[in-house]
Amino acid sequence: MSRTTERHAEDDVLAAYVAGAAIPLDAEWALEAHLENCARCRARLAVTPPLAEFLATVWTRISAAATGAPAPVRSRLLRALRTWAPPSQLLWLLFGVLVTAAAVGIDVLDATGHAPSLVLLVAPVAPLLGVAAAWTRGVDPMAELAVASPRAGLQLVLRRTVAVLVVMIPALAAAGVVTDVSLAVCLVPCLAFTAGTLALGTVVGVARAAVVLGVLWVVAVIVPSLATTELSALLAPAGLPFWGLAVAAAGAVTVLRSRVFTTLPSTNLP
Amino acid sequence: MVRKVAATELAPTTYGWHVQADGLQVRAGRRMAVDGLDLRLGLGVHGLLGPNGAGKTTLIRALATVLRPAGGTLTLLGEQLGARPDLRAFRRRLGYLPQDFGFYPRFTVREFVEYMAWLKEMPPRDVPGAVQRTIEQVGLADRADDRMKTLSGGMLRRAGIAQAIVNDPDLLLLDEPTVGLDPTQRLEFRTLLRELGEQSCVLVSTHLVEDVAAACTNVVLVDEGRMVYQGTPAEVAAAGGADDVGDNPIERGYTALLGRHRAVAR
Amino acid sequence: MDDERLLRRVAKGDRRAFEEFYRRTSPWLAVRLRRRCADEQLAAEVLQDTYLAVWRGAGAFASTAGGSAAGWLWTVAARRLVDAFRREGRTPTPTEEVMEAAGPGADETMLASTVAGDVGDALATLAPELRQVLQALVLDGLSVKETSALLGIPEGTVKTRARRARLAMREAMT
Repeated sequence: MSRTTERHAEDDVLAAYVAGAAIPLDAEWALEAHLENCARCRARLAVTPPLAEFLATVWTRISAAATGAPAPVRSRLLRALRTWAPPSQLLWLLFGVLVTAAAVGIDVLDATGHAPSLVLLVAPVAPLLGVAAAWTRGVDPMAELAVASPRAGLQLVLRRTVAVLVVMIPALAAAGVVTDVSLAVCLVPCLAFTAGTLALGTVVGVARAAVVLGVLWVVAVIVPSLATTELSALLAPAGLPFWGLAVAAAGAVTVLRSRVFTTLPSTNLP
Repeated sequence: MVRKVAATELAPTTYGWHVQADGLQVRAGRRMAVDGLDLRLGLGVHGLLGPNGAGKTTLIRALATVLRPAGGTLTLLGEQLGARPDLRAFRRRLGYLPQDFGFYPRFTVREFVEYMAWLKEMPPRDVPGAVQRTIEQVGLADRADDRMKTLSGGMLRRAGIAQAIVNDPDLLLLDEPTVGLDPTQRLEFRTLLRELGEQSCVLVSTHLVEDVAAACTNVVLVDEGRMVYQGTPAEVAAAGGADDVGDNPIERGYTALLGRHRAVAR
Repeated sequence: MDDERLLRRVAKGDRRAFEEFYRRTSPWLAVRLRRRCADEQLAAEVLQDTYLAVWRGAGAFASTAGGSAAGWLWTVAARRLVDAFRREGRTPTPTEEVMEAAGPGADETMLASTVAGDVGDALATLAPELRQVLQALVLDGLSVKETSALLGIPEGTVKTRARRARLAMREAMT
């Protein structure tokens, strides 16, 4: 008996709707759903004198109260950016880039050409500042609020890590190209250290993990390499498969233990 | 807006208490800050009172699922938090204001609450309306677009309250929410609390006894990680006598109950 | 200019655009609100609060993803209505009484704009209290908590009625 939905509302249904009269339930349902999306039919709503008066009264109150300017339109890009890397992390990320740039500068200026590539030596630890900054309570003022939220955990970890990598990888790649070193040797250990900091961070806290790994690398690789002016064996191309394995393993550990990122590290509490 | 209503949303509420803790133990650093606490909280505004170091913040953090209990059982909104709880769904119904909460100084109040709404996984189209509503509810409407670093302590705390309620939570945990608020603001806050308590379970940790007396339907008194007393403000006041320390009946009751508990504990 | 573009102009502080937006959308919004709220004062307050929120927050609408301006306007207004009910106490909606008066013998021409076939018939057979709950949840997009505040019934009752409504709809359509 009831026909299929017409494209637009009938006049008498609209009139009954405005008058506040009863309309069959299915008609009212369809009408309200339709009106929300159809400006034409909204325009067809007959404004009766009492309704017009009502609207006019409310308008005077609105225009009196609507002082000042509306909220400024925030760029959608900026808001999206903040969901990837909070402002407190960006600064430390920048340090990582500066460290890379400094390494490039030193390598390029190195007249002898015998010194081991500083870019390769620095690449693994350059992103650690950005990674640690995302998860350190002292650095991130909103740490407790973020950790308590539904989005805490793997999603937030991935987002903030991607933010670090999106900045560091092109920077390191560019550095590698400029100083003419193997890009793979530049980037894979970097990924391994990033994942490794997170993985170790699930056990001892990300800041501590970053410090431990950073110091270990400096002591075990950077200092000997600079002292002997020979690049450490760990950075030889032959070692790449092992670095790759390290990335996978550390990544797996991080994902499996990502629940840790939904709680406060109890060791930091007073 | 026509929307799909999931069957889970309509599932009958199987829990009697919003918060149910039995023998709860929570570690803070090396101390067992909450040590064998039994708690039952339902709808309404519950005031959490206790001396410094009583474990109030630790308890609130455990309820906010930010700290894992070391022992005992904790059931929140009908979900027992066992070994590997699924926290995302539960946390969407949670509101939490930590005692020291931070903010990015360059964020405006609106951006701060919006960022929190995003962290709470609110549906994007609901966010602008909800943010505006809660900013108005805490009385920050005229400062909504000012940077957080320009706000006074009381205003910052109100912004914190706004982010806690933006998702219309079923369980609201507020740790010292009235710090820095002037008396008028505290009055407004109490009205807000009462409104919220009608449909949610609200736990307010405070050292300001008058706040508790005025806004709470139920008082939870803790000391050294254990429950001392749970009852209405009137019952707490009745426990005190003329020779107990305190400026008002509730304070006297508080001192009396605390004293009795400590005497028994020794 | 469509409503969405108009809202973007409002976001930039264009008061004439704001007035135009009000002119275009307030009749519809006012009627929809009045059909849920018997109290004219309250409806006026909600309408006022909604548009003030629009004035202050139009920029936020402009920054979020698409959707219709009217749809967004309704999400703001519906929540304001729920808040108003929470503050002032529930008032019974007029539709229930009016519905009873009209009875089942509706004019044939009114059936022209209806929900297609089976669903429409199923809806028509729903008891009013079930229909109310379904309308609040599905059509108005409110949560169980908000529906409970709007209709002045406990959350458990909202859920029970919604489940019964679903069941009734399913049965009516088989």
